[in-house]
Amino acid sequence: MRKQFKETVMDLARHDDKIVLVFGDISVYLFQDFSAQYPGRFYNMGICENTLVSVGAGLSSQGLFPFVHTITPFVTERSYEQIKLDMCYNRFGGNIISCGASFDYAWDGATHHAYTDLSLLRLLPGAEVIQPGSRKELDALLRSQYNNGKMTYFRLSDYPHTIDTPVEFGKGVILKNNNASVTVMTAGPLLGNVLEACKGLNVNLVYFHTIKPIDKEMIRKFRNTDILVIHDAFGLYEAICEVPNISVSYYGLPDEFISCYGKLDQIRKHIGLDVDGIRGKVKGQISASAKNKR
Amino acid sequence: MTPVCAEIRKRMIDISMVSGHGHLPSCFSVIEILYAVYSVIKHDPKNPLWEERDIFILSKGHAALAQYCVLAEFGYFNKKDLAAYGAFMSNFGCHADRSKIPGVEASTGSLGHGIGIAVGMALANKIKKHKRRILTLIGDGEANEGTVWEAMMVAENLKLSNLTVIYDNNLSHARGLQIRNPAERFRAFGCQVSEVSGHDIAELKKKITESADTVKVIVANTQKGYGCKTLVDNQYEWHRKSPNAEQKNKLIEEICAETI
Repeated sequence: MRKQFKETVMDLARHDDKIVLVFGDISVYLFQDFSAQYPGRFYNMGICENTLVSVGAGLSSQGLFPFVHTITPFVTERSYEQIKLDMCYNRFGGNIISCGASFDYAWDGATHHAYTDLSLLRLLPGAEVIQPGSRKELDALLRSQYNNGKMTYFRLSDYPHTIDTPVEFGKGVILKNNNASVTVMTAGPLLGNVLEACKGLNVNLVYFHTIKPIDKEMIRKFRNTDILVIHDAFGLYEAICEVPNISVSYYGLPDEFISCYGKLDQIRKHIGLDVDGIRGKVKGQISASAKNKR
Repeated sequence: MTPVCAEIRKRMIDISMVSGHGHLPSCFSVIEILYAVYSVIKHDPKNPLWEERDIFILSKGHAALAQYCVLAEFGYFNKKDLAAYGAFMSNFGCHADRSKIPGVEASTGSLGHGIGIAVGMALANKIKKHKRRILTLIGDGEANEGTVWEAMMVAENLKLSNLTVIYDNNLSHARGLQIRNPAERFRAFGCQVSEVSGHDIAELKKKITESADTVKVIVANTQKGYGCKTLVDNQYEWHRKSPNAEQKNKLIEEICAETI
């Protein structure tokens, strides 16, 4: 997905000289074309996430469109106050592009895992929070949102799905509508596992790439069903819960640090977010809903 | 103390008494600095968003009352407007909201933020090849924050010669995390550093207008509570205290005694 980030930004920069890249010593090699072509608009500022965000805000205040880019937990959790105050409160918005979503850096352990970013950033007034699941989604959403003056957060993953979905900012996508009593809702790259897990099951399936603003109209369409949110992060469930009078439950992360290292798929299996784990949970939800209806 | 800075201090004491708010000692240390800044930067109180203006950011946001009073002195708004300081629905909060106050370029309050924004503003103007200067005032207590030094490293690395950082060395840090020899520290970061009395307006103006090859730091040696013996002698007690009527009269008498 980072390659797509580069391709899209390269293309945008050809027509927009207000784009400025502020990187935290990551993706520098990947962007060598950009830095060679636009040396005055590419800054590897080093490992100082707080200042990256503040500098992004300052650039924005002067009419430029900053792309602040570094590793997810460091730019979101460490720099939360800079995002809150310098970008959101001051209305010096900009693009924050993180890499290393959820357990992308499985082998690096809990210091590099990132699952609070979406839930934290969606709380900030005026913020836009995007979890693109595929390269296509990233491309479309970057193009539509990068220059709107708001703090827009893009959460990149090294493990995108390849499912071709319609993309419009703020709009959820119905992938299955069986008029079923259970609706699975998910977001981001985990869609690959969720879609596979739901094969042949009598459920509805709704997918989101925009966490804030959440598509409440879409959620209301399924208010008479039992909604099961399956997500490898926090934030989507809480956003859906803001719709009143719905029945909703969460299947995803346990209340513990995951320190078993390995690879993404191994961690997903460990916490039950592999295809089998998800399928088991969805089947259980279908049975429980059927019992409740009787 | 010059008559105009004495008047500003007296106004602040009045406002603090009425509102029950105000970081008077912290504000009193920066009056001459603020007055010197607005005396020399390019700005137009009648057109606060003038495209050619320089930008000043008060990174030590708790001195907002001082900035309000100096902005009013320069004609940004009516001095009477400040009577609502700290009140419900007032534009004038104890930390400034840039969307409400003409002349305030960034909303600050949490320490260690304004300087990072200032670095971004300076970089933006370097990119745009705009001659705008960016100035920011940080506190010595604020410099306990790691972000101050992060921002200085970035600014110096980018050789932001359009950025001036004024360091209010009012010894706030003394009872906590001490920053000894701040000028040497900034020099070690590669900045162009000068040291002045932070209550000498002529000297401050001279240093602010000097050009530099990289980030310029002015260590302004000040006194917390400057101009009022009571505040100077009891600065910890008065850190967030506002005076009653009797105390107000005493503070104003002390200011009069210090005025040239």
